[in-house]
Amino acid sequence: MDLLDLAPDAVKKALAAGAEQAEAYAIRYATRHVYMEDDVPKVAEDREETGLGLKVAQGKRVAFTSTTLARASDVPAAVRTAIRGLAQVPEDPDFAGLATAAGRGEVAAVYDAATAETGVDGLLEGAQDFVRAAVETKGVSVPKATFRLQAYAQRIANSNGIDASHRGTLVFGYLTAKAGSGSDVGEGIVHGVRPALRNLDFPELGRTCARRAKENREAETYHGKLAGVAVLDPEEIGALFLQSVGAAVAGQNIQKKRSPWVGKVGQEVGSASLTIRDKPRMPGGILSATSDDEGAATKDRTLVGAGILKGYVADTYHARLLGAEAGNALRRGAASLEGAYLHPAENAVSNLVLEPGVKSLEDLLAEVDRGVYVEKFAAPELNPFSGAFACEVRNATLIEKGERKAHVKYALLTGNFYDGLKNVDGIGRDLTPVPTFYGSPGCAYVPPMAFAGFELVGQT
Amino acid sequence: MSDPFSAALRALETAGATFGDLRKEDRRAFAVRMANGQVESVNEMRRSGWGVRAFVDGAWGYASGTSGKASDLVAAAKRATAIAKANAAAGVPKTRLRGIPTGTKTYRAAVRIEPADIGGEEKVALAGELCTALAGERIASTLGFYNEAEQRCELANTAGGRRTWREVRVRLGAQAIAQEGDRQEMAIEIKDASAGWEFIKTLDPVAFGREMGQEARERLRAIKPPAGLQTVILDPDASGLLAHEVMGHASEGDEIVKRRSFLSTVVGKRVGSSLVTMFDDGTLPGGHGTIPVDSEGTPAHKTTIIDRGVYQGYMQSLETAGSLKVRPTGNGRAQDFGRRVWVRMTNTYFAPGRDAKDDILADTKDGILTKGWISGMEDIVGGGFQAVTMSGFLVQDGEIAQRVRGMTLTGKALAILKSVDRVSKEFAMQGGTCGKGEADDYVPVGTGGPYMRAKVVVGGG
Repeated sequence: MDLLDLAPDAVKKALAAGAEQAEAYAIRYATRHVYMEDDVPKVAEDREETGLGLKVAQGKRVAFTSTTLARASDVPAAVRTAIRGLAQVPEDPDFAGLATAAGRGEVAAVYDAATAETGVDGLLEGAQDFVRAAVETKGVSVPKATFRLQAYAQRIANSNGIDASHRGTLVFGYLTAKAGSGSDVGEGIVHGVRPALRNLDFPELGRTCARRAKENREAETYHGKLAGVAVLDPEEIGALFLQSVGAAVAGQNIQKKRSPWVGKVGQEVGSASLTIRDKPRMPGGILSATSDDEGAATKDRTLVGAGILKGYVADTYHARLLGAEAGNALRRGAASLEGAYLHPAENAVSNLVLEPGVKSLEDLLAEVDRGVYVEKFAAPELNPFSGAFACEVRNATLIEKGERKAHVKYALLTGNFYDGLKNVDGIGRDLTPVPTFYGSPGCAYVPPMAFAGFELVGQT
Repeated sequence: MSDPFSAALRALETAGATFGDLRKEDRRAFAVRMANGQVESVNEMRRSGWGVRAFVDGAWGYASGTSGKASDLVAAAKRATAIAKANAAAGVPKTRLRGIPTGTKTYRAAVRIEPADIGGEEKVALAGELCTALAGERIASTLGFYNEAEQRCELANTAGGRRTWREVRVRLGAQAIAQEGDRQEMAIEIKDASAGWEFIKTLDPVAFGREMGQEARERLRAIKPPAGLQTVILDPDASGLLAHEVMGHASEGDEIVKRRSFLSTVVGKRVGSSLVTMFDDGTLPGGHGTIPVDSEGTPAHKTTIIDRGVYQGYMQSLETAGSLKVRPTGNGRAQDFGRRVWVRMTNTYFAPGRDAKDDILADTKDGILTKGWISGMEDIVGGGFQAVTMSGFLVQDGEIAQRVRGMTLTGKALAILKSVDRVSKEFAMQGGTCGKGEADDYVPVGTGGPYMRAKVVVGGG
């Protein structure tokens, strides 16, 4: 028996048990995980899990439950829990029903059969390629690197007749390298996420990681303050974009007034060079699918056009309240599928794509008179309400008259990212997918960018 | 231990594992979120599964699943052993485990009122009461949330060790967003414990909600903090972040074995002022990171990390204890049944000192007092510190002055600890969730400490 077939079965059983509406989300994922430690494969995992999220409604009451799905008898147990939940919740006057129109077909290059069929041994080959390339740099070792591969399939059914299936693959790496020894050391860190194993260039990641470790070791403690242009790498910008733009356009945050962009459709929120789209139909997109995770049809849409806010993203519930289109209910994380069934879907961007420019990273740097190039923060985090941030730099290089100078560390890059969106100094051309820092839904596709108005603050 | 487990243990040994264990988990959770007085979600979750791990010559293989079939467990045991063998063949240095649990023990959770015995209606009403109390002038959005989590675990290993235990945690959280014009400011706090509903009964949701609402409103008046090296009085949240993020992560035994930690060679050396003492304590009553045993079956332990400024030692799993030839400390923890064991913290904190908080303030001519935390990030290799606070205050001539916005604290951890010159007797713990350097592998932990005055670099706001 394919346990995913229990999704429509759960809907039928919920209706038979007294629910007036029901929605079932079933997902099965297989995970292969390799942990390299001190240049060798120390730990590897092979995991499988199937789960069910079940939403039921009776009038204006809505309840949700989730369960591991190991056998058919898990479904009636979940139905009983969900029906019992209906008696525990007050009416929701805004509930107007479940999703009504699913998408059709598949988005290309989201599922890769070769990746899905790769076992721990296949992933290990990539991991060893990474290590070999990293340790080619003299004095560099790989104390810790994590490689994860997931293949998943999901099925969503509801009492409006929706029966949507989707499958995909996901490869993720959190990779570190160390240069030097004793107290004279530096660390380089790189993340990578792609839908297929062959899309990750493991040797190149190894070389990048080694270079960052070496430069971190060579970096000088920064003293003083520097106000100039800051050029940021995609990995850092992507995380900041998801926490700011991603949160600010989420329908739930708009309706609950938790977003600084409430009521700002039609207003300027960024530089004229800034166009941002949500693209769930993008071929090869990490979170691409023709239906979202409650079964509603997805659609590519412009969120910010030439700096002007055009709209929000929403699930079915909030789309009705906001007068928006549904299609952005997500459970799948961009870095991991684990536990996707456990919680109700969130209003979230899928593939948040910044329209690229034409310049290379080197072009952007060449235009900087005085500033800093940040490749890696300790943690790219900001305040999603105010946009304020102050992130410790781990890989940063001072730029003078277009040339790279000293590598610096023990300093904060500070500023306001919402202001930064209005002070974009340059947009690069090469998009990189970046998942959310904490594994929530949302994947940014961003190029390197240059901003005016940020400040580097060192030890003074 | 059920029969399928015995069969899988035999399969581990037959397949060639020098050690192996099986962990079965049944998790139940209940969560309520109410926003602006309306239910956002009510969710009852159940998650069950098992994980097998095999140890071969220093390498580990893991396999896990959710089916209840004995044949699946046996197949997983064989798969885990094959993975471990393949890893071992790839050149993993041989290591030995130390302190493997033997015998049979059962641990009971210290719960007086089972959360599951309280009706969902009461939990929804609690979150609603919190929402109502949060609301008020200039409050644009409110969020009240309640969570309970219970996990029942069984562990069996090839050395004949058997453990069963249960962990129960509850938490109540309040968030208010204040707005004036385009400016939004958020205040959030979570109160949690390893305990049952009796902990929730000690809380006053009305006072809690009003306090958070007022806190958010006051943040609308906050100004940008001064940047650069400052005299900072770290509140228990910020001192807890320093304990956890830098000194804690860098004291995890696996980082020492790999020589990745900047603390790899400092045992017996001075790493802070004589006012600085730090522990990791999995036995702390009610702590969010409190556990009866770790995921390997080793009883929780109180480990002294720093004693009066002098570094003492590290946290250990069975394997790192073997590599470093010390005893395991009950810090071998896994996120869940499917995940690997790492060396992880439990409740990590600086010990209280002798000063009164008010005396520290009175003794501070020009500085910053932090309030609340948002996040922190470790720097195991470099020993750098990054922590983001929720808010703070300027301190001028011994008195609290203007409110300042949330800020980032940074600097070299050891320089900060060596600059500590006053430590309060007031002390508090906070619950949280800790990852191990990537977007996964989260375990519940506690962090905390006293008010500590030190020199810290401040930025942001």
